[in-house]
Amino acid sequence: MPAENGKILAVSSVSKRFGGLLALDSVSFEVQRGEIFSVIGPNGAGKTTLFSCLVGTYPPTSGSVRFRGEELKGLRNDQVVARGLVRTHQIVKPFRDMTVADNIRVGVLYGRLRLRGAKARERVDEVLSRTQLGHRAQAKAGVLSIGELKRLEIARALATGPDVLCLDEVMGGLNPAEIQQAMGLVRALRDSGLTILMIEHHVHAVAGLSDRLVVLNFGKKIAEGRPGEALRDPAVVAAYLGDETEEEARA
Amino acid sequence: MQKLAIVALNSLLAAGLYATMSYGLAVIYGVMRIINLAHAGLMMLAAYATWALNDRFGLDPFLSMIIVAPAFFLLGMALYATLIRWLPRSAAGPSMQSLLLLFGVWLVVQNLAYAIWGGDTQSILTPYTMESVTFLGGRLGVPQILVFVVSILSLVGLNLVLRRTYLGKAIRAVTQNRDAAMLSGVNAGQIAAVAFGIGTAFAAMAGSMLSTLYAFTPDFGRSFLLKAFCIIVLGGMESFTGVALGALVLAFIENFASAYTSIPVSYQDAISFTLLVVVLVAAPGGLPGLWRLLDRRVVAR
Amino acid sequence: MTALLRRHPALVPGVLFAAFLLLAPGFAERGTLNDLWNMAFFVVLASAWNLLGGFAGQVSLGYSAFVGIGAYTTVLLANAGWSPWLTLPVGAALAVAFSVAVGLPTFRLRGPYFTIATIGVGEAVRVIASGLEFTGGSSGLRMPPGTFDFNANYYAMVGLALLTLALVAWLQQHAFGLALEAIRQDIDAAEALGVNSTQAKLTAHAISAALVAIGGGLFATNFQYISPGSVFDFRLSLTIVLMPIVGGMATITGPVLGALLFSYLQIKLLASPTLRDSYLFIYGGLLIVVMLFEPKGIVGLWERLIGLRPRRRAQPPVGEARRAS
Repeated sequence: MPAENGKILAVSSVSKRFGGLLALDSVSFEVQRGEIFSVIGPNGAGKTTLFSCLVGTYPPTSGSVRFRGEELKGLRNDQVVARGLVRTHQIVKPFRDMTVADNIRVGVLYGRLRLRGAKARERVDEVLSRTQLGHRAQAKAGVLSIGELKRLEIARALATGPDVLCLDEVMGGLNPAEIQQAMGLVRALRDSGLTILMIEHHVHAVAGLSDRLVVLNFGKKIAEGRPGEALRDPAVVAAYLGDETEEEARA
Repeated sequence: MQKLAIVALNSLLAAGLYATMSYGLAVIYGVMRIINLAHAGLMMLAAYATWALNDRFGLDPFLSMIIVAPAFFLLGMALYATLIRWLPRSAAGPSMQSLLLLFGVWLVVQNLAYAIWGGDTQSILTPYTMESVTFLGGRLGVPQILVFVVSILSLVGLNLVLRRTYLGKAIRAVTQNRDAAMLSGVNAGQIAAVAFGIGTAFAAMAGSMLSTLYAFTPDFGRSFLLKAFCIIVLGGMESFTGVALGALVLAFIENFASAYTSIPVSYQDAISFTLLVVVLVAAPGGLPGLWRLLDRRVVAR
Repeated sequence: MTALLRRHPALVPGVLFAAFLLLAPGFAERGTLNDLWNMAFFVVLASAWNLLGGFAGQVSLGYSAFVGIGAYTTVLLANAGWSPWLTLPVGAALAVAFSVAVGLPTFRLRGPYFTIATIGVGEAVRVIASGLEFTGGSSGLRMPPGTFDFNANYYAMVGLALLTLALVAWLQQHAFGLALEAIRQDIDAAEALGVNSTQAKLTAHAISAALVAIGGGLFATNFQYISPGSVFDFRLSLTIVLMPIVGGMATITGPVLGALLFSYLQIKLLASPTLRDSYLFIYGGLLIVVMLFEPKGIVGLWERLIGLRPRRRAQPPVGEARRAS
């Protein structure tokens, strides 16, 4: 399906309610093909909930998610992956008893590409080298370091052959060298043709990588635009500072 | 109208017993996130213990609960200390390991009963077993009434403990958030042992009371266990008032089904099994979940 | 070849044992052959169950329903004039249909909740089967005369056992097996990578139901008499589950080892009256010991002993701040 004017993902008035809690309140934004688009905001702002609504972990309470013009609301997670939209998890979920290669193989066999046989093996090798996990291919996922596990999350998602990759805090828990490496990987992925949607807390990574971003606070969108503008928006600063001041007050 | 009142009353009486039976399960699940399949075996064991006390010493089953309940409380704590304590705690809800371990305990307890008392059906006969009271033109069995009274007393007692004592508050704290409770100084291990003891004691009380109402064999307990699951799932698994509600709902459905439909008695257990599956699948949050669902629709945006 | 053997060390003893089974009628006496037949039956049950229960991690305590469906289909159709062998596919088809009917609502449940639901379903089936007229009620049914041929029965069961093992092994090595493993280890992650977990579970359920039902049909043909107590029994469901658990779930050899152990146990139990009354004690005790000390069963114990697995499972790396986003 052709993208409408380069727009690959259109989120319109998405709300998500859990019982009495309104986690997302009428959030709208658009992502252009080939962008690196960030979703930022203080803790509890609803960012991961947004991702879950996009990929079909659960449906939004209201609103619509259009991917390349097609409505995604109501589709199962695996159906969304088959259409080319995939996510990683903030708290990594490796298949601990499987090797790294097999972890990736799940994405290759069941993702959008659905490869088999020799082509599948080739793709696994390709993904391993792109995410620099080749030397760990036969290690059980359970023994990997946090940096490697984050890369494995990306590798598995990449293996499915997506058009849009949703990265959920892939830099969380990494040391500065690993963060640089991760940033390089994200750029390389975008340069290879993917559109990247990322949730991230590391402000300088966001500023350095993103073409545009959206800021959420308490489930609402409070700012949108280029990093330079949005990060200087007083509402955004207040939201983050408010978060920090509360933490300081409690300490 | 009269029949309706009698059926309703009988449901209420049954609900008391069901609630006692289910609280035992609910306390253990709440504190340890463990599904205690041995609950059935413990109820059965208590029924036999009650019967044995009645058979040997002529002790009235309701009075013997004074001995049986504390004894089983200690048994529960012993079970915890020897077996349950060693299970790894899984972060995401109850584990298959604990389920199967307690299933094994159930089997062992069953065999114990077969070995000690044989497989014959037993029942307890007291002077008042066949007595009934005439109320609103219908008859209510005396054992049923006594069971209801004892149930209410034990539940009120449990409620008092949970609300007024440190132990009770600690139990509720661990049920809601184990880590936070530990940070507040609660010894989660000790609380777990006590909770397992309480759960076992309630299973025992339910078993004793069941022995006054039904005949039993060592195989006894499985259908009651499934009813208890049905109830705590209906009640939302973590809400104590929910359990009481769930007990009422199940008791009402069963009694009304047998009074107003022609479903044969032997198929009645199938009602609770089906209800269990239906509730698990359609309303995993139980009645509280359904309530929240309704609440959301009312508060439209 | 050597790489294959290194990855599957049980292949050599397995092939030898299969050869032994196939050649046994040539030299073993009838009593032994009966025991071997029984063992083959247990291998079918344990290995088939393991597809859904071990590999996919969905523990069902209601599998006797499938044994019963297969057994009763064979007996009822044979009494209507069918050749017993032709009844087997029908029993399998019915079992598949039932497995889907049960699976559709219950596979929405996770872990222990699914298991409890299967207990409920199994009980409901037993209650209903005992009450129905055409199943002969609790007194059971007989096969028509002239349908007994022990040699044929023996080869049929051994053949089914080998077929089951080969099928499960083949599935495990290929894409489907990987999906099941992924579902067992982290179902949400599996779905997030494109696995349709419900479809995979339903498929595994159906395949194992079919195999178990065929086994049930062969059981009826060999024993010539069935009753709800013998084929719809909860004890049978229990035995079916215990074999892979004790032997080692999510492996190929585990269920076989479990089947060997339990068929041996059954022989010993039937021989001695005192032990027969203690079977619950033994089963329960085994379950407790396995869950406390080695949840991965005999295979797990073996792997630990020869150093393939570290004593303690690798812990997830620390330092992952748990924050809401």
